[in-house]
Amino acid sequence: MPDDPPAERPPVDRIGRRRALGLIGTGVFGLLGGCYGPDGLLDRSVPGEPLSVSIKSLPADADTRALRIARFLAENLTAVGVDATVVPTRRETLMRDVLVNQQFDVYVAPFPERADPDFLRPLFHSRYAETAGWYNPFGFEDGDVDSLLELQRRQRGDQRRQTLATIQEQLSRAQPLSVVAFVDELRALSSSVALGYDANDVHSKLGYLTLSPAELDTRPDQAVRPATETTGTPERTETTRTPERTETSDGTIRMTLTDERALKNLNPLSATARGDGVVTSLLYDSLGQRIDGRVRPWLADSWTWSGELPVDGTLDVSIREDATWHDGTDLDANDVAFTYRFLSDTSMGALEDPVPAPRFSGRASLLTDVEELDNTTVRLAFDSVSRAVAREALTVPVLPAHVWESRASEALAGGIDTEETLTEAVVWANRDPVGSGPLQFRRLQPQERLVLSPFEDHFLADATATHLRPFAGGVAYDGLTFRRAPSSEAAISLIKNGDAEGTGLGIAPSSIPTIGRDPSLNLSVTPTRTFYHVGYNARRPPFDDPAFRRLVARLLDKGYFADEVFEGYGDPAASPLARTDSLAPSLAWEQRDPATPFFGENGRLDTDRARGAFRDAGYQYTDEGELVVT
Amino acid sequence: MVLLEFLGKLLVGVLAMVAIAGWLFLDREQATAVPQRSWQRLREIAPHLSLLVGVLALNRVFRNLGQELSWMLGWNITGLIYTIEGDFVALVQVIATPPLTVFFSFVYLYGYVFLATFPVVAYWLLADADPIQRTLVAYALNYGIGLVFYTLFVAFGPRNLLPNTVQELLYTAYPQSQILTSTVNTNTNAFPSLHTSLSVTVALLARRTRDVYPGWYALSTGLAALVVVSTMYLGIHWATDVVAGALLAVASVRLADRYHDLPRVGELLPERTRVRTAERRND
Repeated sequence: MPDDPPAERPPVDRIGRRRALGLIGTGVFGLLGGCYGPDGLLDRSVPGEPLSVSIKSLPADADTRALRIARFLAENLTAVGVDATVVPTRRETLMRDVLVNQQFDVYVAPFPERADPDFLRPLFHSRYAETAGWYNPFGFEDGDVDSLLELQRRQRGDQRRQTLATIQEQLSRAQPLSVVAFVDELRALSSSVALGYDANDVHSKLGYLTLSPAELDTRPDQAVRPATETTGTPERTETTRTPERTETSDGTIRMTLTDERALKNLNPLSATARGDGVVTSLLYDSLGQRIDGRVRPWLADSWTWSGELPVDGTLDVSIREDATWHDGTDLDANDVAFTYRFLSDTSMGALEDPVPAPRFSGRASLLTDVEELDNTTVRLAFDSVSRAVAREALTVPVLPAHVWESRASEALAGGIDTEETLTEAVVWANRDPVGSGPLQFRRLQPQERLVLSPFEDHFLADATATHLRPFAGGVAYDGLTFRRAPSSEAAISLIKNGDAEGTGLGIAPSSIPTIGRDPSLNLSVTPTRTFYHVGYNARRPPFDDPAFRRLVARLLDKGYFADEVFEGYGDPAASPLARTDSLAPSLAWEQRDPATPFFGENGRLDTDRARGAFRDAGYQYTDEGELVVT
Repeated sequence: MVLLEFLGKLLVGVLAMVAIAGWLFLDREQATAVPQRSWQRLREIAPHLSLLVGVLALNRVFRNLGQELSWMLGWNITGLIYTIEGDFVALVQVIATPPLTVFFSFVYLYGYVFLATFPVVAYWLLADADPIQRTLVAYALNYGIGLVFYTLFVAFGPRNLLPNTVQELLYTAYPQSQILTSTVNTNTNAFPSLHTSLSVTVALLARRTRDVYPGWYALSTGLAALVVVSTMYLGIHWATDVVAGALLAVASVRLADRYHDLPRVGELLPERTRVRTAERRND
C-alpha cells in the first residue's frame, strides 16, 4: 500500500477543450476535436486492463539525451509488460502539458538550474500542486514533506542540511520523480570571441555581459589545452581560450539557439516559453544578482536588514536613483512593489483565485508584505525565512508597472489550449519587451533571430562598487544576436562558416568530434545543476502508487546514461541536490544507485528479476505477459 | 551565408542537370521554336500556374500558424507509426556505407529538385498544353493536400524518435542542408513524405508522356525510386510516410487528370477553403 495515498482526482474534463476547438472552426478541426482528444490514441489505465503508458519527451533535434532516456524507459516498460509509447513533443507543448495542463503520465526533461535548495519547496509542496509552472507538476502530496520544506527555509547551517537530507530521503522513497543525471553543458565557441567573468559559463547573464570580440594580435595561448584533447574523454576541462582572430561581424556577437522559444516569446514569467531564462535575464534586471555564489546588490544599490529573521524580519532595499526602463520611464519603488504583488497574483485580485506567475512566484512567496517607503526605497517583510533564503527573493526580475498592469485580465486567446484560468500576463508573448537590463530589445524576426543592443543608460556604465567591477563600463560589443539552429550539428556548421560565434544552448555530446577537428573552434564544458529526470503524474494510476514509481525508477540505468547518453559529460544522481553541499549522505552516488538500483547491468535489463519485483509488489500478469492493475 | 551558399550550389547543380537532361531528351527544333509561342503558352497555363503559386504562398504563410494548430490539436502519430512499422528504417540503413550516403544525399537534395523542375521545362515545349497543365495542378494538389495532413498530424521522422537505432545520415554528413530544410519545412511534418509524393507524381506523369519522352520516362521512374529509398535511407522518413506519400501522388495525379480544365478546379479543393477558414478564425 502507498504510505501516503494521494487525493483522488477525477479525470480531467475535456469539455473546455472541445469548446475551444469549436471556436477555432467547425469542419475538420471541430470534428476531429470531438472524436479524438489529444490523448485519444493512448487510453488511460483502467483496473483489470493491461497498462498503457505514454512517455512525453523532446524530439532528438531538441534534446537527444531526454529522448534516449525516454526510449530506454519505454523499452524496459514494454519488457516488464507495460505498453509504453514515447511521444516526442516540442518544448513549449511539453512544458504546457506538464507544467500547466497536467496532461501526462510520465515525462522526461531537464530541470533548469536553481541556486538555493529552497527550489524544492514549490517543486514538491502540496500547496503548489495546482499552480502552473515548475511547481509540483507531479501532484505529489505528503504532509511530512510539506512541513519539512517549510522548516528548512528558516533553518541555517547543519540544521538546515539535516532537514534537507531528511527531505531528500523521503522524496527518494516516494519517487514523485526519478533524478537521472546532472549534465555538463557542452558549447562550441569560435576563437574570435573571448570569455570574461565566468569562463565556465558563457550562456549566463554574467557570461554574456563580459563576452567580447577577441583582442588584436593576441597569440594563441599555448598553456591552454585545445579542444581536440578533450575529445571523447569524460574528464572535465576548463574552457580553452585561444583568441587569434579579430573579425566578428561589425561588433555584433552572434549565438545560436537550438531552442527557438526565445525567438517567439520574451515573457520572463512564462514557464512554457522559458528554459534557463538566460535571454530574458539580459533584458530584465533584479534587485540582487548572484555573483560568485552570493546575492549582491544590483538594481538595488544597498539593503539593510532589521528585525530578527527567521521570525519577523524586514529588509529595506534602496533602489538606484538613476534607474530607468528601456522606454525612458523612471524605475522606482512603485515598480518593485508592483512586481512582488504581481508575481504572487498576476490577476491583481481581480479573479476569484490568485494566479501566481508560473516563474518566480515561489521566490515571491517568501515575502509576507511589501511597502513603498519613499520613491526609491521599499521594505520587504519576511516571516519564517532565514536571511540566506530571503535573499533569493531579491533575484526575481523587476517588471515595469506601466507595462504589466494592463496584463492582469483573464486570458482568452491563450486559454484555448488549457483548462486552467490564466491571465494575459502569463500567456503574453511580450515581443517588444521593456526591461531595465544591460541589454535592450532591438529586433525580432520570429523563429529566426533576436537582436539585442546595449542599453546606454544602464547603471553598469559607471558602476564603481567592487563587486560590480568586472561588469563596469558596459558590454564590449554593439549587438548580441541569438539565431535559430535546427540542431546541434547545424549550429556548429554555422560557427564554422562564420555565421555565428558560439552555441548559446548546449550541444549534443555526439558533436564533440566535429569541434575537435576544427582548430578555430573551442569546446567549453560547464558542470551545471541542471538535472534530467523522469517525472510521474501521481494523479493518474498506477503512478499514484509510490511502490510502482520506485519500481519504474529501477528500470532506469543511470550509470549507463551518464556513460553512453551523456558520453561522460554528466554524473548519475539519486537526489535533486546531488551537485550541492546539501546532498543527503545516504544518497551519494558511489558506483551504484543508492536508492533505486537498476534491475540489470550495463544498460541491459534483467527482465525476469524486474517482472518478479512487480509481482512481489502485488501487480499481476496476464497469460500474454501483460501487466495489469488490480 | 551558409544558407545562400548552399542554395547557390543547389541552383547551379540543378540547372546543370536540367541542361544535360534537356540536351538528351528534348527536341531541339521545338526548343528553338519556343520563343514565338511563349506568350500563348503562358496564357494557356496562367490559371494553373496561379493555382500552384497560390498554394505555395499559402503554404508559406500558413506554415507557422499550421504548426501551432497542429500542436493544439495534439494528434501526435509518431508513436503510432513506430508501433506499425517498428525498426524497418534501421533495416534499410543496414546497407549504409559512406559513399552510398553521399550518393543518397545527392539524390535527396539535387535529384529531387531536378525531378520536380525538369518536367516543367520539358512539357513547356510540347505543342499540347495538357501535360504541363496537369503537372502544375498535380503539384498544387500535392502541396495543398500535404498541408492539410501536416496541420492535422504531428509526426516526427525516425531520426527524431530513434536517434540511436536510426542514423541521421544526411544532417550529420551535411549539417548545412538542415538549415535549408528547416527553413522550408518543420520537423513535425514527416507524414506524408512530400519528397515521395512529388517524385512519384513526376514519374506517373512521365508515364503518360512516354511516347514523346521515352528517355525521361525511364530516368524519372528510376530517380523517383531512388528518392523514395533515400528518404528512408537517410533516416528522415518512416516507411509509413513513404506509403502515404505514394498514395498522395496517385490521388493527386488522378485528380489532376480529371480536373486540370481549370474552371472546375474551384470545386475540387475543399482543403484550401478549410485551411483558410481556420486561419481567419484564429486571427
